[in-house]
Amino acid sequence: MPDPAAPAVSGAHGARPLPDHVSAASLIAARDRDQVRVLVVDSEEGMREGIRRILERRGCLVRGAADGETALRVFSECPADVALVPLSGAGMDGAVLTEQLLRRSGNRTVVVITSARASVEAAVEVTRQGAFDFLVKPFSPETLVYAVEHAAQEGRLIREREKYLSELAGERTLSRQLINSMHEGVVVFNIRREPVLMNPRAEHFLGTHFREGMALSDLFPDLDAAAAVEAVLESAHARPECRLVPLAAGERRLQCSISPLLRDGEPGGVIVILRDITDTWKAEQDKNRFVSMVAHELKSPLSAIINYLNVILTGMFDDNPAKIREMLERCKVRGEALLELVRDLLYINSRDVGKVDRTIEPLDLSAVLASQVEFFKVQADKRRIALSLESPPGPCMVKADRGDLDRIFMNLISNGIKYNRDRGSLRLRITEAGPDWQVAVTDTGIGMSEAEQASLFQEFYRVKSHKTSGITGTGLGLATVRRVLAGYNGQVTVQSRPDAGSTFNVVFPRETA
Amino acid sequence: MARILIVDDDLDLLEGQKLFLEKKGYVVHTALTIEDGLARALESAPDVIIADLMMEHYDSGFVFCKKVRELPGLAKVPILMQTAAPRKMGFTFDASSAPGREWMKVDEVLTKPVPLEHLLGKIEQYLSTKARDA
Repeated sequence: MPDPAAPAVSGAHGARPLPDHVSAASLIAARDRDQVRVLVVDSEEGMREGIRRILERRGCLVRGAADGETALRVFSECPADVALVPLSGAGMDGAVLTEQLLRRSGNRTVVVITSARASVEAAVEVTRQGAFDFLVKPFSPETLVYAVEHAAQEGRLIREREKYLSELAGERTLSRQLINSMHEGVVVFNIRREPVLMNPRAEHFLGTHFREGMALSDLFPDLDAAAAVEAVLESAHARPECRLVPLAAGERRLQCSISPLLRDGEPGGVIVILRDITDTWKAEQDKNRFVSMVAHELKSPLSAIINYLNVILTGMFDDNPAKIREMLERCKVRGEALLELVRDLLYINSRDVGKVDRTIEPLDLSAVLASQVEFFKVQADKRRIALSLESPPGPCMVKADRGDLDRIFMNLISNGIKYNRDRGSLRLRITEAGPDWQVAVTDTGIGMSEAEQASLFQEFYRVKSHKTSGITGTGLGLATVRRVLAGYNGQVTVQSRPDAGSTFNVVFPRETA
Repeated sequence: MARILIVDDDLDLLEGQKLFLEKKGYVVHTALTIEDGLARALESAPDVIIADLMMEHYDSGFVFCKKVRELPGLAKVPILMQTAAPRKMGFTFDASSAPGREWMKVDEVLTKPVPLEHLLGKIEQYLSTKARDA
């Protein structure tokens, strides 16, 4: 870079005037070629010319200005990467011109102060005003070139940093938007266990608003979650791991996934991701309850059967074969009911997992019910129960699966017989009700209190009283009726009074095609 | 002869246990509901009560036991609870500890189906304790 051929620049009088007005187009082109654009401000034309020659030889694009005013005008037309500004003597104070140039360039132009007065105080002063470097006149070409290149390098760094910062700001905005739009709650704690970030979802889940100076215990009064945060913080150094902890937040059930936040491999805090698992949790609870109920319902008849068998096996009734037969008959009844329960359970399960083959087709409800009535006739006759069906003239069309219709009405008719009195009646009546068919199944049986009706359509609910004690049932019939009907936007309700009988009303959408 | 009251909503279980215990020489009363059970307890003054846990409701047995203890002369009657409820239903049936017994008002919790000899053994055990205390 040193140029031994070049004379020292000390206000040399050049042969050629410095072209103060290089075209703007060439300057912009210079920028594109990564050429350094230099603005030389000096009242001495010879000085400007000397500097121009040296810098142009280095590939710079140089413009000159004799005074501060001209410099600002030239600069506003074509900005420079580097400006050489005299400390004084250009009709404007060097510090003022520096400040102006920096302001107009948005701090992108790098200013190098030139001065014959080499005082430290002056250098400090202009540097404080924003100048980057200080060149003492007279300076050698090498010193000049070095200073300009150094300044140009600084300019490039400034631009790169700006670009980087703007990209970073953009990314920050993007990450913040991402975090805020997440379906999961996000909370970040620093190493001092203080929350430093919370997205709106986390605020919603935890029922609180983020504010400075919050503590871990403010967010997680739940000891397990707080302890897990602590544990992750403490073990982050040895083995960064993610912990999963359930958290109850009011009615909601959350799953916290807690992982360490590492900065350069060092623990810097923890990131807590909160996921709403209320629905799966509730489903799990329901499933557990159902399984427990099933276990109970399976064990009850088995206990009764085994108990009878044990009594028989003691031999204490060997002299009373009629009693033994009676007990065996009951074992058979209970065993059959158990089998029915298992069938119902399997049906419910296969229906839930969509394994039941269903064919939705136009069906005549009155024909379906007529065949049901026919089927139950023998059973009803045994107890002298009058079974009848009334339906409007013409077919009562519905769109349904035959198996589903059978299941709905078999359950209701079978109940109507089981819970009826001998010589009673069971009446099925189809009527038109707006867009639906209504089927009323009316018995003359034991009826139910309002409390008994309330739980009637729940799984395993059976009305239990001395009046029902000999009647077997799975406790799944009416629950299944309700479930199957729900699949057709239909519904079932009950009207009943103790000892006065019950009417089950089924509402099923009419097929209007 | 010692009097036993069995309260259970399963008619067949009642019948089987009644047949067995009657053959063993006990006077057995049965009831299908809490209400009926309380009436029977009051009129028959049983020496031992055997009650089911899940009757009309999942905790009917506990309610029944609590109410029995309030009846005149029955504050200390031995109550054996039998249940088909699986353990994970949410209760911890621990009748072996004093606080557990106090809370449940129950002396013993038996899991259905209770073997007949086991049931008989328990009844005899409580009857002899009762006789010794008297």
